[in-house]
Amino acid sequence: MAQALALGMAVTLALPGSAVAIEESQQPSSSAWEILRAKYYGDRSMGLVDDRYMSLQVPANTPDAAATPLTLRFADDEQRRIKQVRVFIDNNPSPLVATLDFAHATSANAPPVTEIDLRVRIDRFTSVRAVAETTDGALEMRSSWVKASGGCSAPPTAAGAGVLGEIRLRPSPDARSIQISIRHPNSSGFQIDPQSGDNIPAHYISHLRVTAGGHAVLDAETGISLSENPTLRIATDQPLPAPVTIDALDSETQVHFTATWQAGSLKQATAARIDAAGNGSR
Amino acid sequence: MAAAERSGAAALTKIGLLSLCGWLMVEWVAPARAQEHSGHGQPMPGGFNVAELKPGVFLHAGQQVALTAPGHDDIANIGFIVGEHCVAVIDTGGSVTIGRALRAAIEKRTRLPICYIINTHVHVDHVLGNAAFKQDHPSFVGSAQLVAAIARSTDFFLAQYGGDLDAPPTADQIISPDQGVERELTLDLGHRRLILESWPIAHTDCDLTVYDQRTGTLWTGDLLFRERLPAVDGSVKGWLSVIDELEHRQVALIIPGHGTIAHDLATALKPERRYLRGLIDGVRQEIKGGQSMQHALEHVANQESPHWLLWDSVHQRNVARVYQELEWE
Repeated sequence: MAQALALGMAVTLALPGSAVAIEESQQPSSSAWEILRAKYYGDRSMGLVDDRYMSLQVPANTPDAAATPLTLRFADDEQRRIKQVRVFIDNNPSPLVATLDFAHATSANAPPVTEIDLRVRIDRFTSVRAVAETTDGALEMRSSWVKASGGCSAPPTAAGAGVLGEIRLRPSPDARSIQISIRHPNSSGFQIDPQSGDNIPAHYISHLRVTAGGHAVLDAETGISLSENPTLRIATDQPLPAPVTIDALDSETQVHFTATWQAGSLKQATAARIDAAGNGSR
Repeated sequence: MAAAERSGAAALTKIGLLSLCGWLMVEWVAPARAQEHSGHGQPMPGGFNVAELKPGVFLHAGQQVALTAPGHDDIANIGFIVGEHCVAVIDTGGSVTIGRALRAAIEKRTRLPICYIINTHVHVDHVLGNAAFKQDHPSFVGSAQLVAAIARSTDFFLAQYGGDLDAPPTADQIISPDQGVERELTLDLGHRRLILESWPIAHTDCDLTVYDQRTGTLWTGDLLFRERLPAVDGSVKGWLSVIDELEHRQVALIIPGHGTIAHDLATALKPERRYLRGLIDGVRQEIKGGQSMQHALEHVANQESPHWLLWDSVHQRNVARVYQELEWE
């Protein structure tokens, strides 16, 4: 009974659309967050946006600590003012999940990003935060509490097999969203090799760049808090112009994994071209 | 920035909890109704029931409660088979206490030695009682993949289920097989042969079934869940393939890993197959429509909910696992 109650409360906390703008002091804080906040934002003031401007959705009781879906929506940012979003998981060994830079803030040709989905590792009970920086330098934050543990040290799954750097591009039928999946262990450095008992060294995708119709859409600095086989889903409010390209950088080898989707060519998208040659810097 | 992150990570190394072993971590749901035990077992001291379902085939039926509920160490169907020379134990329960209760139940029924401890797969509710049988010096038998599975789960078991071992919880209480079954192995208990079969990845990557030739009894391990929601920790497609193979077999008695006994495999496997099929169809539709995992978690196979115990959390976990498996089709 107590457990059912606790679960019910946790679920309520995660319901989207119910939040209103509240003071930062009313949001759950943590000593980890105080350090992160100071490191990345100093003493700059930070507002708390309402859900229509930016929403953060994470399951309160994650079904899979090693692959927890996280959704950011920017449906009402019609002025395209958000130029950067950082995603943090306070209590992870590497709290900064990703730094997302949106081209739409500076380029009128860039398709505006209205939704981003990531999949993340969650090591223990924690706040998950998204901090948006707008073109005028203002900071806005959303946060959510997640119950989970063990996501950073979970052993690699059987689904982790396959060709390193293989990329799947899966556009929706109306081409307003595209799911990018990259075959990569994205090793956290906290996993144990069951045979040798040694730590598996960190090895991850450190940068992602997405373009559409020849224009930059998104640049993302990423780290070990992204799940094995990293995924990134981008949605816009208009069909993405072809070709859509993805360029992913390997943290250890500095190899670029790339793939391209041409309009109306779903077949090519599901068997995306792989260019695993180190083709220079981005 | 990447370098700064890495040094930050090093400083906080100690934060990391130990390894997560699939669904066990997340089955945090309220207790459902306790299963009614069938059979004609005699109550044991402390209420540990064992029923002789066929001559020499003994079952202790697990309860349908969650892994966080009281009695969480007693949720799996476990038991033993008595031959003319010795006894084989099939799964040992979720704690050393349950393992000891099972051992006491065996002692009460036979003076024959315990020669084999068989584990049907790696999950805690089936293996943590192993240590109770160390003194009998049996051979521990499991799938050839079980050794690696136990190795990668040991830290997690100690961290999350240490209370179910003798204090202090130590790694030597988590016992790996000394005989690994690659495909098939026959054990002779003295005029009684058990056929052990190792299966390709399905419920887990180390599933094993045990067939008692004398009575036609098949212990399915967790390849068959009845009443309780199946948990996908291996491969949903692999599991359906195994079901396709299992369902044609004619056996006299089926003992599932969880839930009530049955007599016809095709019938007993039907609800599980329907649920797994629903997961695959639902997730494929989500992926094809360009929907996110988050969307899939909320929309896939919810029509199955009334048919199963312990639906919450386990179902979403299954959807997450299936999504990750199918997105690479």
